Amino acid sequence: MQRIAVIIGLAVLFAASMPVFGEPLDDEMEGVKRALLELKRDLVILEEDLLFPASTQVAVFLSMDVGEFFQLDSVSLKLNGKEVTHHLYTDKQIDALYRGGVQRLFIGNVKQGSNRITAFFTGRGPSGRDYRRATTVEFEKSFEPAFIELAITDSTAKYQPEFRTAVSN
Amino acid sequence: MSKLGWSLVTLITMFVVSQVQAVGLSDEAPDFTLRSLKGENLRLEEYRGKVVLINFWASWCGPCRQEMPLLDRLHHRYEDTGFTVLGVNVEGDPKPAQEIVDKIKVTFPVLIDRDQRVSELYDLEAMPSTIVVDRDGVIRYIHLGYKSGDESKYVEVVKKLIRE
Repeated sequence: MQRIAVIIGLAVLFAASMPVFGEPLDDEMEGVKRALLELKRDLVILEEDLLFPASTQVAVFLSMDVGEFFQLDSVSLKLNGKEVTHHLYTDKQIDALYRGGVQRLFIGNVKQGSNRITAFFTGRGPSGRDYRRATTVEFEKSFEPAFIELAITDSTAKYQPEFRTAVSN
Repeated sequence: MSKLGWSLVTLITMFVVSQVQAVGLSDEAPDFTLRSLKGENLRLEEYRGKVVLINFWASWCGPCRQEMPLLDRLHHRYEDTGFTVLGVNVEGDPKPAQEIVDKIKVTFPVLIDRDQRVSELYDLEAMPSTIVVDRDGVIRYIHLGYKSGDESKYVEVVKKLIRE
């Protein structure tokens, strides 16, 4: 009986001193997940740098204010005469733009030197008529990435939408 | 370039190449935005949270026209439980699609793939083609062609995914 009690006591002491295997494994899993997320983030950045290096990168962004005079339906872009993107806008996307969202409409590569981007805006203009307007930006591509902003604003003076462009590189 | 650099370049190349392969089960359904016959621009990703049955069809396709009223019934039956049918006409010109829709009187959104970009994206092999996407935007069922009775398979899949 005494022997049994000693064995049981030793067994309890041994069990109490054992490490709890669940905890280190959880920490390990968390570590692996974190490393995976960091790797994914690095891959996305690396992919962008590889596919769109700064020396040839051009990005076009679109923003718009509250569209009293123009309701956007679609935008298409031509880069040096070639269509590079065409985007149809859903109601949710328009709402996001009205709330101050900025859309990265296009990212691509161009040669250094003179380039031209033409944006075609289609939608409903004043009085609900079909409206189509094009605007062209000429820009010089340097070794830095080029960012082009297309902004659609209401001109209360003219009761017409205005399509502004800005280039930064 | 170091070994790590070459490994990363290989990984990225594999990633880019994988984007041009045909869609399959368990793939994320490629996103698209198309104009409907009613003039709205509808985007697939905005249906996340709903089960979506995408049906690619053409006006010259007999089985497509045979299937459409059944799809409309399915759309009505489960619409309130978070399900929708999206019809995608692959012909480019909306006129033949409008004629069929006026005749058959379907009520689910019918989208026009004007430049066949979405057809290419989904690498269609048959007409009609039916793809069912779950609430997380993952392709869970692909069905090529249509013959009478196939709609029962759609019902089975849709009911299962609605319950998820």
